[in-house]
Amino acid sequence: MAKHDTPLLDQLESGPWPSFVSDLKRQAEIRAKNEEGVEFQIPADSCDDLLGILELSFKHGRTHWKHGGIVGVFGYGGGVIGRYSDQPEMFPGVEAFHTMRVNQPAGKYYNTEYLRSIMKLWDFRGSGVTNMHGSTGDIILLGTTTPQLEEIFYELTHNLNQDLGGSGSNLRTPSDCLGSSRCEYSCYDTQALCHFLTNEYQDELHRPAFPYKFKFKFDGCPNCCVASIARADMSFIGTWKDQIRIDQDAVNKYVEKDPAYPANAGAHKGRDWGPFDIEKEVTDLCPTQCMKWDGKKLHIDDSNCTRCMHCINVMPRALKIGKETGCSILVGAKAPILDGAQMGSLLAPFVPVNPDNDYEEVTEIIESIWDWWMEEGKNRERLGELIMRQGFQKLLEVTGIDPMPQQVEHPRTNPYIFWKEEEVPGGFERDIKEYRKYHQR
Amino acid sequence: MAFISSGYDPNNPMENRITDIGPRNYEDFYPPVIAKNKGKWSHHEILEPGVLVHVADSGDEVYTVRVGGARLMSTSLVNEICDIADKHCDGYVRFTTRNNVEFMVDSKDKLEPLKNELSSRKFDGGSYKFPIGGTGAGVTNIVHTQGWIHCHTPATDASGTVKATMDELFDDFQDMKLPAQLRVSMACCLNMCGAVHCSDIAILGYHRKPPMLDHEYLDKVCEIPLAIASCPTAAVKPAKVKLEDGTEVKSVEVKNERCMYCGNCYTMCPSMPLADTEGDGIVLMAGGKVSNRISHPKFSKVVVAFLPNEMPRWPQMTKAIRQMVDAYSKGANKYERLGEWAERIGWEKFFEVCELDFTHHLIDDFRQQAYNTWRQSSQFKF
Amino acid sequence: MSVLDNREEATKMVTDYLQKKLKNKTKFYLNDFYKVFPDDKPRQVKKFVNSLVTDGVLEYWSSGSTTMYGLKGAGKQHASEGEE
Repeated sequence: MAKHDTPLLDQLESGPWPSFVSDLKRQAEIRAKNEEGVEFQIPADSCDDLLGILELSFKHGRTHWKHGGIVGVFGYGGGVIGRYSDQPEMFPGVEAFHTMRVNQPAGKYYNTEYLRSIMKLWDFRGSGVTNMHGSTGDIILLGTTTPQLEEIFYELTHNLNQDLGGSGSNLRTPSDCLGSSRCEYSCYDTQALCHFLTNEYQDELHRPAFPYKFKFKFDGCPNCCVASIARADMSFIGTWKDQIRIDQDAVNKYVEKDPAYPANAGAHKGRDWGPFDIEKEVTDLCPTQCMKWDGKKLHIDDSNCTRCMHCINVMPRALKIGKETGCSILVGAKAPILDGAQMGSLLAPFVPVNPDNDYEEVTEIIESIWDWWMEEGKNRERLGELIMRQGFQKLLEVTGIDPMPQQVEHPRTNPYIFWKEEEVPGGFERDIKEYRKYHQR
Repeated sequence: MAFISSGYDPNNPMENRITDIGPRNYEDFYPPVIAKNKGKWSHHEILEPGVLVHVADSGDEVYTVRVGGARLMSTSLVNEICDIADKHCDGYVRFTTRNNVEFMVDSKDKLEPLKNELSSRKFDGGSYKFPIGGTGAGVTNIVHTQGWIHCHTPATDASGTVKATMDELFDDFQDMKLPAQLRVSMACCLNMCGAVHCSDIAILGYHRKPPMLDHEYLDKVCEIPLAIASCPTAAVKPAKVKLEDGTEVKSVEVKNERCMYCGNCYTMCPSMPLADTEGDGIVLMAGGKVSNRISHPKFSKVVVAFLPNEMPRWPQMTKAIRQMVDAYSKGANKYERLGEWAERIGWEKFFEVCELDFTHHLIDDFRQQAYNTWRQSSQFKF
Repeated sequence: MSVLDNREEATKMVTDYLQKKLKNKTKFYLNDFYKVFPDDKPRQVKKFVNSLVTDGVLEYWSSGSTTMYGLKGAGKQHASEGEE
C-alpha cells in the first residue's frame, strides 16, 4: 500500500516508454516489504517520500528542494551535492537527500558483480535510487543522509576499489565514447586516454584547483558521440592525417546494392528511400567535393578532405579511417550562462595520442592551459570566457602553439590589430624633437 | 534502524583513509569478445532497430541489443539488468552516453532469446522496462537533468517531460524511418547541467520571474556579500529594508530588469527562492547538432519562447515537438539533420511547415551576438 | 624560499586574513588566497590551501558548480542547513 496518493504521477505509468514512476513505486514496495532483511541506514520509506514530494511538485509546479553546501567527504571538495527537502515534516524520509557522484569506468562497461555490489551498498546506505548515468558521466547515487556519506566513501574505497567523481571548481569526471573497444571509426583509444588522465589528475578532480568547473571529453572520431565539442572545456576528437583507405571492391558492392552492404550501415532501413545512389548519397554530399565516382572506382582527393565522416558512415565496409591517427584538441566549449553558449574552438589540429610517453604531447597542452587559467581566470569564469576576454592569440602564446589558418573560419574582418611594442621596429618611444626637425607645429 | 559502521572512525577521519584511487579500470569490465578484438574491428551493421553487429578483422562478431531506459533507475531495476546480463551475456553489460543500456552477445543464435527476454519485461503500469531501439535514423534516448526529483533550481520536471516526450516519439525510437538521427535533449533550467544547446530538439525549463526576497530571514540565514557575488549579471544589491513591524533589517534588492533567472542566488541564499507556478515553463529549441558530419556542429535555436508547465504530460510541449518531427520527416532529404533541413528551406519556411508561431521573443536581443542572427540580405522567402 | 615552506607562518597568514574578513563573509574563492601569497604560483597556493582542509583548519563549501573555502565551522549556512 503506497504511503502517499500520487494521482498526477500515476498518469505517467501508462504509455510504452519505461516509466520512472512505476520503477519508483516498485522500489518503494520492495523497501517496505524488505524481504531480504536489509538493515536500512536511511529511512526505509525514502522512495515513498520521494514519490510524495515529486507529486507535490507536480501539483504546485515548483521544486521542493533546497541546496546544501557544506556536506561532503573529508578532504574532498567535490563528489557530493547537498540536498534538503523544504517539507521535512511531510516527507521525513527525504529530509536530507544528498547525491554522491561515483566515477564511472571509461566506456561505461560493467560486469554484473561490480554493478550488484554498488546496488547492494546503495540499498543498505542510501535510497535505492540512482541515475545511470548523470550528465558528466558519473554513476549518480541519489539520496542519502549526512552521516552515511563517510560510511559510503569508506566502503567504496576499501571494499570496491572505487573513488568518487568531481563537482564544484574541480576537474569534472572525464568521460569518453566507447572508442576502439567496439567501433571501427575510433582514431585513438579513448578509454586509455580518459582513464590515464583521470588518474593523473586525481588531485584536481577531488580538490578545488580552478576558478570554476573544467571538463575533458574524449570522442574517438568527428561523429562526436559524447558531444565533446559542445560540452567540454577541452575536447579530444580523434582524427587522421593520411588517406581514407578505400576497398574498391567493397565500394562496388554498395553500388551493386549487395544486401550485405546496406548504405549507412543499415541506419535507414525503416523507410524506402529508393535504390542506393553513390553520387547522390555520397559524392554530392561531400562538403568539400573532394571525391568522384567514375562508374568503376571511387577517387578521393585526401588533401582536400576535412574528415567529416559522411562517406565513411555511409559505406563503412568500403572506407576506413586513415592509419596515421591522433586527435584534434578543441577548447572552450560551455553551456550558456553567462555570455551565451560556446562551441569548442580548434587549438591543436593534430596531436599524437601516445601511451608510451604517457601522452606527453597532450598533458603539456593541458597543463599550460591550466597554469594560465589559474593565474588569470576570474572567479567562475570558464576557459572559453577567458579566451574571449584575453584573446585566442594569448591562448597560443601560453600554449606555445603556432598560429595557423586551420584555427579560424576566416581571418579577421577588422584591421584593428593591437600591435605589441616589440613587434614594431624601433618600439613606441620616439623623439619628438627629431620629428619636429622635419614637421612644423 | 541501528547504525552500522563501515569501519570509518569519525573521530579519526584520516585513519586508514584511502583517497585518489580513481575509477575502476575499464579493462576489468570488457566482455571477452571486446577485450580480444579491441582496435581490430572491421565494420558494423544495424540489423534492425536497436540491434547491431560489429565484425572484427578476426571474423569474430559481437551482437548488441540497445534498449532505452529512464536514466532515473532503482537498484532493483539495475539488478534486473544484471540478471539478464548474467543469463544471456556472461555477466557483462554497458551503458551509453544517452542513458541507453547495451546487452552484447558473441553469436547470432543468442540474439533472439535475449531480445525476447528484454521485450517481454514490463512494469506493472504497462510500460516497457527495456524497449529495444534507439539506433540509426530515428529518435534515440533523451539525455536530461534532474528536475523536480532532486534539483533546487529547476523550472520544470525532467523525468516527467522526458517520459511524455518519449511516449509521443516512441514509434521513432523503435524505427529508423527519419531522414537522419534525431537527438532530443532536456535541461530543467538555463544553467543546463545537461548541455542541450546543440541538439536537434531541446527542451529547456525556464523561469520568468526574479527571485522573491524573504527579508525577515535573509540576513539570518545568508551571507549577504555572497548572495550579491553569486549574481552573474550584478542584479543583486545590498539594501536596508523596513519590515511590517517597523524593524529595519539588512537585506538585498534585485534589479528585476537585469535578472536572468539563473537561480545562482538561491543556491547561495535559501531566502531568495524563484520557483513560480505561472512564471516557470518550457522553452523549445531546435536545429542543433554536435556531429561534424557534412556540416559543422550547430547551436540549437529557440523556436518556441514559452509553454506553460502542464503536469503530468505537458500536452502543448509534446504537440509542438510532434509538429516539428513530422514536418522534418516529410521535408528533409536523406541524411539531412533537422538543422540542416531548416537552413536549406530557410527558417521562415520552418515556422510555416511546423505550424509554429513566430513571436518577438524569438528575435535575439542578448548582447552583441544578437546582430549576427538578424538578416543582412535582401534574400528571403515570402 | 617561499613563505609556504614555513607551514605555521603560512597557516597563520591564512587564518589572520580570513578572521579579518569574518565580519562580512565566511566563504572565499581560491583566487582570494593568491592575494595572501602574491609571490607564489597559484598551483602551490592551491596545494597549501587544500592541505589546510585536511588539517581541519578550513572546510569546503560547494554550490555544486563552484567550491569555496571557509574557516571550519564559521558562517550562517551551518545553522540554516540544520545539521552538525
